[in-house]
Amino acid sequence: MADDNKALAQGLKRRDPDLLDQLIEQYQFRLFRYLLYLTSSRERAEDFFQETWIRVLERGHQYDGKYKFEAWLFRIARNLVIDWQRQKKMQSLDELTDPEDGTPKEFAALNQPSPLNLVLTAEQKSGVHASLEKIPTVYREVLVLRFQEELGLEEIAGILAAPLSTVKSRLYRGLEALRGAMPGRPSGQGSAA
Amino acid sequence: MNENLHARAEKLIAQDRIEGIAQSERDWLAAHLRECAACAQIAQQTDDALRTLRGLPVPLPRGLAARTQFRVQLRAQEMREREPKRRLLWIMCAMSWALGIATAPYVWRAFEWVGEHLGVPRLVWEMGFGLWWTIPALVAAAVVLLENLRQAHERDQAR
Repeated sequence: MADDNKALAQGLKRRDPDLLDQLIEQYQFRLFRYLLYLTSSRERAEDFFQETWIRVLERGHQYDGKYKFEAWLFRIARNLVIDWQRQKKMQSLDELTDPEDGTPKEFAALNQPSPLNLVLTAEQKSGVHASLEKIPTVYREVLVLRFQEELGLEEIAGILAAPLSTVKSRLYRGLEALRGAMPGRPSGQGSAA
Repeated sequence: MNENLHARAEKLIAQDRIEGIAQSERDWLAAHLRECAACAQIAQQTDDALRTLRGLPVPLPRGLAARTQFRVQLRAQEMREREPKRRLLWIMCAMSWALGIATAPYVWRAFEWVGEHLGVPRLVWEMGFGLWWTIPALVAAAVVLLENLRQAHERDQAR
């Protein structure tokens, strides 16, 4: 794995076009899904998807191969979204995403359809969707990284540029929110650690 | 059953999925779940919720990868075309520094001579000498900065 990452780092440093094509193919689903959860917009997720890969091309020399490539990739994507949010004079992700200080907010405007709303079928919408939508993005983000991307806690902390304790705290709250949001279960039942 | 046991079980259910737990804790939890229907239900709900999250379909936009590959290749080509220019800039800058170092004693004397003949205070011509040294670096920095600004502008427009 370490050797693979080193080879990847060297390829990125050379801006190897075949390697980039292969990486885009390989990570397209995971990166798009992550961006969709972050931006709550398919169009924006598409834009950021392309921008992320341009950034990978431009800054490939900064990837040293010590960590998983996807962690570095997601961090680039996340930073692009944060920059965009800041440019739009919105609150930064971290301001938005510190639920320990109060009720967390969503990334996107409240009147926008959520990514879940956009991707789920009508049947699915009847149950899971309505409840999952209630989970704040800040929690969904860590849930996606942990349980869909299966990244380690340290890797998630690296992507979020947040302390490990914050990541854990968000995961516990997120898992509780996810469980509480499932259809047929009254929210608030049970408690997180 | 003691409420603390349920709280511990619930904590371990989450901890197991987030961080992992020790074997002794796993054994304790398994035993507790066999006896406690409510906690077993929580464990089941947690697994169901995670399964649902993992199984959420996210359809990819058609041709997203191909479009991205095309854009990345274009950008790579653009970067390759600009690379010689930038290299030339740094070579010129380096040569200018090398020449500056080689000629520094003569230039110092020249500045001193001009300064004395024009009656310019020593501090002023010394500062002039310092500025003369920094000019290549300043020019190079300005060119790079302008280039980066132009690229950022292009990216904004593309978005």
